[in-house]
Formats: sequence, C-alpha cells, structure tokens
Amino acid sequence: MDIINKVESLCPECLRKIEGVKYVEDGKVFIKKECDDHGSFTALISNDVDHYRKMEECFDVDRKRVKAPLTDVDKGCPFDCGICPSHKQDTCLAVVEVTDRCDLDCTYCFANSSMDKSLDPDMETIRKMFETVKKCQNDPTCIQISGGEPTLRDDLPEIIKMGREMGIDHIELNTNGRRIAKDQEYFDKIASAGIDSIYLGFDGVSDDVYMQRTGKKLFDVKSEVINRCEKADIGVVLVPLVAKNYNLHETGKIIKFASNKVPTVRGVHFQPVFYSGRSPSMLEGKITIVELLEAIEDQTNGQLKVENFTPSLMPTAHCGTTCLTLVNNGEFIPLTNTSLGAAKSAFDVASKTKNSIMGRWKGSEKEKEDDDSSCCGEIIAKGSCCEKQIDVTSLDTSCSNSEGGWADFIEMSKDNYLTISMMAFQDVWSYERERVENCCIHVVTENGKFIPFCNYNLTNCKGEYLYRNTG
Amino acid sequence: MDINMTEEVQNLLKDEGFKKEEIQEIIEKAESNGKKLKHKSEDTFIAKDDSENLTTYAVYTISGEGINLNNVYSHKMHIDGLTGGELHEVENDDQSEWICQKCNETALERNVDMSYMGVTRAGPAIVCPKCQEFYVSDGVAKTLKTAESILEEKRA
Ligand code: SF4
Ligand code: SF4
Ligand SMILES: [Zn+2]
Ligand SMILES: [Zn+2]
Repeated sequence: MDIINKVESLCPECLRKIEGVKYVEDGKVFIKKECDDHGSFTALISNDVDHYRKMEECFDVDRKRVKAPLTDVDKGCPFDCGICPSHKQDTCLAVVEVTDRCDLDCTYCFANSSMDKSLDPDMETIRKMFETVKKCQNDPTCIQISGGEPTLRDDLPEIIKMGREMGIDHIELNTNGRRIAKDQEYFDKIASAGIDSIYLGFDGVSDDVYMQRTGKKLFDVKSEVINRCEKADIGVVLVPLVAKNYNLHETGKIIKFASNKVPTVRGVHFQPVFYSGRSPSMLEGKITIVELLEAIEDQTNGQLKVENFTPSLMPTAHCGTTCLTLVNNGEFIPLTNTSLGAAKSAFDVASKTKNSIMGRWKGSEKEKEDDDSSCCGEIIAKGSCCEKQIDVTSLDTSCSNSEGGWADFIEMSKDNYLTISMMAFQDVWSYERERVENCCIHVVTENGKFIPFCNYNLTNCKGEYLYRNTG
Repeated sequence: MDINMTEEVQNLLKDEGFKKEEIQEIIEKAESNGKKLKHKSEDTFIAKDDSENLTTYAVYTISGEGINLNNVYSHKMHIDGLTGGELHEVENDDQSEWICQKCNETALERNVDMSYMGVTRAGPAIVCPKCQEFYVSDGVAKTLKTAESILEEKRA
C-alpha cells in the first residue's frame, strides 16, 4: 500500500468530517477513511494510478475566486456553503433549478421529483436567484436552467427572458426534450426568449436504453429535439448518464451519432452515475473516469484515445476530462492530448479558430462559395492573391488529385468541432474536500446561496442530504 | 554579398521572426550549390532551407547592385512525398513557371502529402521531375499556416 496523500472527507453514515488516506494498491487508487462511530470505508477512485497521476501532471489552471462570497466561514468546509470566503474557485456555471417536478420516473436521478406544482419557486424567487448569480459570479455570467424538468413550467419563456433582461450572458437549458419535441410553439417561445444552448439528456442511440431507465421509447424524441434546434440555430450538448449494465456499451455510438450532427451538436458530456437521492441501487453500475475513457477508446476503434482527454479546466485534475476533436468525413482528428498539456477552454478554442479562419477568408468568401467550392486549388489560389511571385492560379488544374487536401481541412474546421467531456460527480464515499472547495459548478438556492454541485447533491447512505432541501 | 529589401519586406521578416543573416545564408547556399528554382522568364529565384521543424523559402532577384529580397515565407509541415508515391504523367499541362536550376528541368505542379501533428493531407507543390526536390508557393504556405494553427490550438 502506497500512500498518495491524506484526504479530508465525510462519514457515509453521519456526514461528520473525517480523515482518510488516498493510496495505491494493485495499480488502482482508493480512498480509505474512518469514523469513530461508524468504522472504516473504502472507495475506488481510479482504476489506473498512472492515468491518475498523468491528469495531475497536465492539469493547469489560473485560479480566480468568486466576485463576492455569500456566506461567512464558520463551521469549516463543507458546512459553510456558500460560497464562503475560503472557496478557491470562481463559478463557471450556476445551476438554477426552477422546479422539482419531472415527467419521467427515472431509475437514476439525483433530483427529487415531487409532482407538487405549488413548490416551484415563483418569479420573484427566481429573480432573486438570478440576482445572486450577478452578485457572486464574475462576468460573463453563465447559468443552466435545470430541475426537475424545467419545461414543465409554462412560464419558462418568461423566466429566460427575465434572465436575459437582467444581463445574464449565457443561458442553457437542461431538459429531457419531451416537450420540445412535441410542442413547437413552446419551443419557439423558448428560442426567441434567448436560450443559447440545450443540454439534452441523451443516454443512448437505441430505445432499449431508454426503456431500461424510463420505460419509454425516447430515441425519436431526442432526434426531433436536435432537428428543431438545428432549424432554430441553437447548439445542443448531449448528456448521457453512464453506468455499467446500462449504456456503457453505447458510448462509442453516442459519440458517432453526435459527430454526424455537428455543428448543431457541439458536444457530448458524459456523467458517470453517482450515488445520491433516488439511485440507491446504482453502486454496482458506477464507473470511474478511466474506465469510461477506455470504453470510448475501444468503441471508437482507437480514434479517440484515453490520452486525447485532458483534465477539464477550472475545478481539479480529477473532476473531469475533455477532448476537443475535429470531425472530418466521419474521421476524428483529436486536438487535445495529455502529452501537450491541458487545453484551455475547448469552446474558446473553437470560436477562436473560427474567428481567425473567418477573418482569413474574409472577402474571398463569396466568390468561393459560388463555384466549385470543394476545389482545393481554388481556395489556395485565393489565399495567394496578394503575392505575385508565383502564379498559383494554374494550380486548380490539379484539384482532382487533391480532394481532402489541406484547404479542405481548413474549410471543414470552420464548423466541425466536437467537444467530448465528462464530469465525475462525487458521492459520500469518493468525497474529497479538496475537490469541492475548488468546485466551479454551483447550484443557486432559493435563499440566495451558491452550493458546489457535489455538496448540493450529497447524501449519506440513508439518502439524507447535506444541503439539498435543507433550506 | 549584400541583401537589399524594401521596408515592407523588412517588416515581414520581423513579423515572421526571421533574422536577416539566416535568410542571407539560405540564399548564399543556393547560389553556391545551385539548388534553387529560377523563373522561366524573369531573374527571380526561390531558395529554400529544410531544417527539422521548419522549411523556409526566400524569393529574390539578382541585379547589378546585389540581391533584392522580395519575399520570405515558411511552413512547419513536413513534406512526406508525392501523393500517390510516384511522378506519373498527367494529361493536363502541369508545367510550372519555374525551372530547377540544378537540373535545368521545368518543374511540375503536383500534389504532395504533407504532415503535421499526426495529420496528413495533400497540397500542391512545385516538383522538379529529375531531382524531385519540392517547393511550396507563398500562397500554399499561407494555407498551410492556417492549418498548422488550427492543429496547434490544442496548446493554445
Ligand atoms: S465547499 Fe466552498 S463554499 Fe462550501 S464550505 Fe467549502 S470552501 Fe466554503
Ligand atoms: S460538481 Fe463535483 S465533480 Fe464537478 S467540479 Fe464540482 S466538485 Fe468537481
Ligand atoms: Zn460516522
Ligand atoms: Zn532538379
């Protein structure tokens, strides 16, 4: 047993703060901790210590704190959320839950799903939640409207509009997509109210998967949502919850499906299942990041490799990984690799590249579009218009040989980015204080606090919450 | 031998991070070993330098007063070889405006495979049919540079 470091964690029984160690055994990483009253607990953190260490090596972040803390330091982390002054990381996404209600009865779900409409926060409360965001998060402010299922609210368009008017910069909607797929009028209202992207629950490309979780065939529903978003020019991120004995075998197909829907689909964000609330039976289904990455490598026939996933920016080296890839005629060209260090924000990279490319072709864009725009020589010739030394216009005679050449590569790069990411939410077994105090996903509460997502959804082994529903 | 250049070219050198001495060396070498392209009808030459990670080209003319540097450009991509492997006859007129000075052969316009950061694609180059030396035009180099920067975004 090779000890990595000490950790501060919580007792899965009584949620008291206890200490433990992170150690290596048989090449795997575990956390073992002990409560005076409830004995010792061991949890698997990573199946591959080399990968675990690699993530640490290439993790790189300039930390920035929140604009203004909302609570004081009193009982110590994690009991002062938040955000308290000792929290080390700014918010990258503020989650605003607008209802607990849900129209699906999922096997795995960390939300509560009562059906009582009167418990939904009213507009005034939501306004306060948005104000909390403006107060705490540095610009640009980014929120995710979540639930429950937010589209159960008829006033969702007004909520979005209010957020816009209050100056929230980016608003994404987390949804199962059912209402969007069947209610075009409602979707139009959401779209014109100013939604930036849809975070679409998407567990697989076969109805078997949806049947298992929800008892309903939902694949067509999901496809329809993507079609509608394409028409409305709204980006979609597919969000598969992943577990063993559920959909782990479909991760490759999900990525493939996403790559065919680029640029409407901008990313796939995997969420390994975690123990909380209503998913007591899922412990066997739990997977670690490296297991998921290995499944992806395997199921994409090595086109996306474990090493193409670098630690996600912001929280810690072990919260998540991200791969940015170009998609070219069904082929993946991953742009991230642990040997190159961490990528800065993937979406930034995409838009930066896009801008530089748009700028580069500005002016010649139109003419190029008119005639045979797939002709490589044509584009290259345009690129050389400012120099007279070599007459390259004659080069378009060789086009036919050069299809799929570098010029096409550039054309393709304008739109065909896909970001594949994952976040390994913590449960009371894997819980590490170091991770939550650097957490960047914060749930906004109705009483004006920001709670790191992993704390918000944390329960003990009896399903009792540390924060959620505790006022 | 002295190199003359306009202010514009001086700025280009600065912007692209080339030193005047480096360029001078490339040209001097080409002048002494003859490894360069000469334009069909003008006294314009292209010399190049293949170093491990960068291929640099200098376009210049020679007159009584010495060497006038007209343009400098480069690419990081590695040229692997002719697309398809061999230099086949093609039906269309594939002769370039350039002559390989060493072989005294008119160079041809052909696609070559170029690789960068694990990705290989084709692009047009100027190839001497005899010594099979490859040259890339300024216009193509600009395209390659864009592609290079796309692939480099991963380190951004
Ligand atoms: S998780 Fe952050 S906000 Fe909450 S108590 Fe710890 S440091 Fe404070
Ligand atoms: S929500 Fe959990 S896994 Fe995600 S960044 Fe926060 S602490 Fe890390
Ligand atoms: Zn205990
Ligand atoms: Zn030759």
